[in-house]
Amino acid sequence: MNAIEQIRAAITVEWWKLRRSAVTWTTTTLMVVLMPALSAAFYSVAINGGRGPLATKAEIFLSSPGWAGYLGMTGQIAAAAALVGVGVVVSWVFGREHADRTFPALFALPVGRHAVAVAKLLVLTAWVMTVAAAVMVTSWMAGALVVNGGSVTFGGLVELGVVTLLTGISGICVSLFASVGRGYLPGVGATILLIIAAQVSVLFGTGAWFPPAVPGLIAVHGAPGIPPVSAIQIMAVPAFTGAACAATVAWWGNAAAG
Amino acid sequence: MNAPALVAEHLTRHFDDITAVNGLDLRVEPGEIHALVGLNGAGKTTTMQMFLGMTEPDDGRALILGEEPPTADWSRVGHFIDAPFAYGELSVRANLTAAGMLHGIPRDAIDDAVSTAVERYQLAQWEDKRAGVLSTGNLQRVGLAAATIHRPDVLLLDEPTNRLDPAGVVLVRNLLREIADGGGAILLSSHHLDELARISDDITVLHRGRDIGRLEAGGVDVERRFFAMVYESEVAT
Repeated sequence: MNAIEQIRAAITVEWWKLRRSAVTWTTTTLMVVLMPALSAAFYSVAINGGRGPLATKAEIFLSSPGWAGYLGMTGQIAAAAALVGVGVVVSWVFGREHADRTFPALFALPVGRHAVAVAKLLVLTAWVMTVAAAVMVTSWMAGALVVNGGSVTFGGLVELGVVTLLTGISGICVSLFASVGRGYLPGVGATILLIIAAQVSVLFGTGAWFPPAVPGLIAVHGAPGIPPVSAIQIMAVPAFTGAACAATVAWWGNAAAG
Repeated sequence: MNAPALVAEHLTRHFDDITAVNGLDLRVEPGEIHALVGLNGAGKTTTMQMFLGMTEPDDGRALILGEEPPTADWSRVGHFIDAPFAYGELSVRANLTAAGMLHGIPRDAIDDAVSTAVERYQLAQWEDKRAGVLSTGNLQRVGLAAATIHRPDVLLLDEPTNRLDPAGVVLVRNLLREIADGGGAILLSSHHLDELARISDDITVLHRGRDIGRLEAGGVDVERRFFAMVYESEVAT
């Protein structure tokens, strides 16, 4: 089998595994349905002037009433929640081969382990793109229920989609931790560390140069004290994950069965 | 005369201060069922792993169909080491289809190969069930079906009859004999000594990574002779 045939076969198998997994469906539902619903609820609480910690928190997230404020709030939630969701699924996709002890079965096949790793990454990237598109649609639907007046702008929805997509892409980097750590827990742990590191880097004013923090900064662009994110800093997100993916594929090609 | 399917030449593997395999020489010919027997830690699984490129030898070499693992023709090789190739979220049929694709079976031939494997391993009753709900015995059958779906010329099986009920053991014994009679070479390990004696053409006894002799295939009182060999080896060292 040549390289293309190997990757095609592996993509088919990985796609079956991903679409039939409860982990994928649960996480996708949480991101596509619960995340916009949560944002709509926050928006409603903030606009209606409720009291208590929830209202205070919601008001911090909301920059202005209307669609722009609602979509900005959804973007801020997506920048954290999508990283958790994608991190969990990526960790599972790579780590489960070790946890379920199927990794040795992937040796000594005409389809090489390089091809299997590439296929996993391609399938996950397609899934992230699908989730980002679905989040745009469901956020628009949830917003229509709570935002009074004005109409949603295409640019605002696209920005939300970009924030979700970049967040998801940055989350794919945990494939390396789930592989080297030979299980999904190291990947989930790395996801949590990425979120903490992103928060800390923003607090220290260096977030724009830490790729996992970039989507969150895009979501709050224009807010007081938030510097604009440059095109180079945005491109650093796929470059950062690309480097992690290259290391993941190399690890898969060279690791012992364990 | 055909070249040997498996050749180990002074095969050696250490894990830290433990020598898992120590200067092992081995040949398995086409049409032969060759068994490795030994206590836990004797080096059986590590030997198979070196043939399959799962771990590299520190010394010596392992040849599979005349090639070392990096350049071996894996489309002619099947194996079942450790856990079965079975993903819990996929049906038995989907798992076997996936195994067929990864073993390089052409797409237009996969359905027939899967149906044949389902029939041979008597899995029709569970064909559409998720692998995650199967008993360990049936999972073992799925793993063996996945390892042999492409009709390999060389088959390496670590404890193939583990977890199988008596009917499953007889089924696998007959299928392995059928593969060998068709010219396939089989290297397997097991702790079921009587079972090995019944199924194998040749039995190599490993102890502390070394080849300490042969047991007569088809012989009686295999267990007593095995422990006598292990005892003599311990005394000698």
